[in-house]
Amino acid sequence: MEKMKQLALDILEEAKRQGAEYAQCSVSESEKKEFNVDGGRFSLMRTLFNRNVVITVLKEQRKGTVQINRFDTDAVKTAVTDAIAAAESGKPDPAWQFAEGPAEQSFTDGEPVCDTDRLFMRTKELLENINEKHPKIIMEQMITAHDSGRRVFMTTNGVTYRTHSGAYSFGLMYSAHEGEKATSFYGSDVTLKTLDKPVIKCAFIERELAMVEDQLDPKKLKGKFVGPAVLAPYALSEIVLGTIMEKFVSDSCLIDGTSIWKDKLGEQVADSSFSMSFEPYSEDVVVPDRFTGEGYPTENYDLIRSGRLTGFALSQYGANKTGGKRAGNSGTNMKVAPGEKSLEEIITGIDKGILVMRFSGGEPAPSGEFSGVAKNSFLIKNGKIAGALSETMISGCVPEMLQQIRGISSDILKDGNDSIPYIAFDGLTISGT
Amino acid sequence: MLQDILSGKKALFETGAHTELRGQKNRNRRAILLNGDVIGNVRSDVSGVSARVYRNGVYGFSSMAEYSEVAAETVLRAATENANFMDKNAGAGKPALTVLPVKHLTPSDDIHDPEQKVYVDFAREVDAYIAAKYPKITSRRVVATEDSMEKTLITSDGMDGHFIAPRSYLYVILTAETAAGAPVELFQPFGGKGTFDLNFTDVSLLYPQIDALYERIMQKREGVYADAGEKIVVLGGMMTGMLSHEAVGHTVEADLVLGGSVAAHSLNKPVASEIVNLTDFAHTAFGETCPLPVYMDDEGTEAQDVPLIENGILTGYMNSRESAQHFGMQPCGNARAWQFSDEPLIRMRNTAVHPGKDKIEDMIASIDDGYYLLDSSNGQADTTGEFMFGVSMGFEIKRGKLGKALLDTTISGVAFEMLKTVDMVSDTMVWSSSGFCGKKQPMPVGMGGPALRCKVKIGGR
Repeated sequence: MEKMKQLALDILEEAKRQGAEYAQCSVSESEKKEFNVDGGRFSLMRTLFNRNVVITVLKEQRKGTVQINRFDTDAVKTAVTDAIAAAESGKPDPAWQFAEGPAEQSFTDGEPVCDTDRLFMRTKELLENINEKHPKIIMEQMITAHDSGRRVFMTTNGVTYRTHSGAYSFGLMYSAHEGEKATSFYGSDVTLKTLDKPVIKCAFIERELAMVEDQLDPKKLKGKFVGPAVLAPYALSEIVLGTIMEKFVSDSCLIDGTSIWKDKLGEQVADSSFSMSFEPYSEDVVVPDRFTGEGYPTENYDLIRSGRLTGFALSQYGANKTGGKRAGNSGTNMKVAPGEKSLEEIITGIDKGILVMRFSGGEPAPSGEFSGVAKNSFLIKNGKIAGALSETMISGCVPEMLQQIRGISSDILKDGNDSIPYIAFDGLTISGT
Repeated sequence: MLQDILSGKKALFETGAHTELRGQKNRNRRAILLNGDVIGNVRSDVSGVSARVYRNGVYGFSSMAEYSEVAAETVLRAATENANFMDKNAGAGKPALTVLPVKHLTPSDDIHDPEQKVYVDFAREVDAYIAAKYPKITSRRVVATEDSMEKTLITSDGMDGHFIAPRSYLYVILTAETAAGAPVELFQPFGGKGTFDLNFTDVSLLYPQIDALYERIMQKREGVYADAGEKIVVLGGMMTGMLSHEAVGHTVEADLVLGGSVAAHSLNKPVASEIVNLTDFAHTAFGETCPLPVYMDDEGTEAQDVPLIENGILTGYMNSRESAQHFGMQPCGNARAWQFSDEPLIRMRNTAVHPGKDKIEDMIASIDDGYYLLDSSNGQADTTGEFMFGVSMGFEIKRGKLGKALLDTTISGVAFEMLKTVDMVSDTMVWSSSGFCGKKQPMPVGMGGPALRCKVKIGGR
């Protein structure tokens, strides 16, 4: 770590020598241990050693950034020169602003040391558990890994962060098969600090495996109706939460003025049951993002509280461009507040609707309108799951959906990064053949 | 260019195992303008060395962020240890890979490296043109970018070689508002293989295409919602390219076949109408160099075309050396890796439906009530062959004539059912190459095709 700190100091010194009025750099080393399973059998073990240097300079209010993965003196000097040249090619923009120091902080997060034998054992056990309990599942690909790294982030404003972190991750992609019958593929993911229990018990992995196995005999939905859709956590993230972030509250859509929420700060944009925040310091997060790309320390913040828009996901640059306020973090570790009913209770209240586990849709319009295929979905009839569906399309408009929330589940998917419930919305167009 | 420091390490390869040693450098240059402000101005160079060792049906892999002889020796040792660990704990007891003939590929080109100012200035000129000429545009984003891969590969058998693959693009993303004040967006990439300075020599050459893009977004702001349901449509060539890649291509990648894709049960069976032919081209198609030519892959296999659908019959899969051995097929150079730290995966190269005999105007004239779907914003497909594409530009067809433009919508279907409904194929085709295919790693790919008349399900409101 001391060598990396010295390298960071040298980079900043060189940047100042070459005329930068501000410079920041991130110097990091990382190691990955990874096992791959393909088509249900072990296929590969990987060990990766990586380095990364990212240098950003400001010269006459013009910004340039260079990334390399070498630590040697010549490469680093060239990178600084390239960053200065990139800045000089840009256009002055007084909105660039970075954290002021002095401040020096060090953090150790997650589990930085990999127990490779235990990772292999848990991977093998997971595969065996799935084969035994869910024999119709074919694991198209499973990637299990431990990622660890040390990083020094330093700026000419006197800000220094040192981090040492590590975590285990399990990513599964699978489908169910019986003869020539096959379901859509589905993915389950979880990030873990420790390997102290079987992975099949983590997040919603076991529940999701069982639900996919139940999709082997899907029926085509006849006709079209407007009705409620229960979005499972991944579908909710894809359709609703992702659209909010990308189209309504981010730097880009607020700076260019295309956000339809640009004038709605403080207003009710959702049903009062809906609250959405970013909480890197939640106890459920394995490795929190400790600082932003502009060097500011992170903190938890609310985006929507009881349906009211309480902030935007702005960087300091975005805040300066729009006259807004910088957000408490970079939009990591999303949390949607749970409701009071279980998923089963929410479904009980629906006469005719659909449960969507995954969504495959087009890029939502800036207005929040979207359409796409409801993957891994089930028909809900008379308050019960009434079989799997195939080739069913759904369409709707996110701002309208947020005002038509029918229920939020108390069951929360905690995957080590985000905490997301099931939410039922009224008013979606659901169409079959 | 990467110097050859790896050839001498072949003596360190273990006997009885297949070994690949690869040095690689990936370069990315990017300037992003949002309404005239330079919000992104980034140069990235990532290089290193990796080794992969195959033993008895399992692989070991290792990489280091350093292109040196010491790093090469280190990753060779680590990859061998990993292969031995896997063989001991999860070995499949499979035979050695079929030996390939030894060949050598020499680099066809050096690589230019324009200074950052070239990207920023070009993007600013394009932005200034749009800002001055089109006040109805409420937001504009212009991105000038280049990414390139340079690789040097040493293998225990098969091809060794050194190759370079640069590509560069200018993306223009425009936003306008409908009469009700709702934003609509349209996007177009320009460019292709080659470095930025050679692809973009004169900004005025792009003006006619930017003018056409503006005309389309003006039509789109007056657009209507598609009527949800199954419709007869003409898919434009860009949409056909997406179909070739997403809906068919992925299902016939041999690793996904082994994972249970629909193609596992469809080989040598009809999967499309007899007028449909589809090939994953390596480097040359219809007498011309492909958008992103591939001459060898990262396992040392010389690249050849893979005919996938011939006269409506599914005829093959895309393979790695290992999967080709499993299926008794010929490997054709589909195993490719994105960065030095990535292992080769089965990837498409330039996947396209072949042109047919019909005129687009006849295809449109033949439809009483349907849609002409031109551009796709994104696409996804399932291993079942069920696909979904976002449609960013399209038109109604009413009584054989083009009608109003469409607002954003999606289409979906099941590839091997939908392709059986194809009854007209246009005699011209288009290619695209600006995107990345995502499959554990990103990968630049080309895709293309003619216009197809077929039935698909369209989303509406």
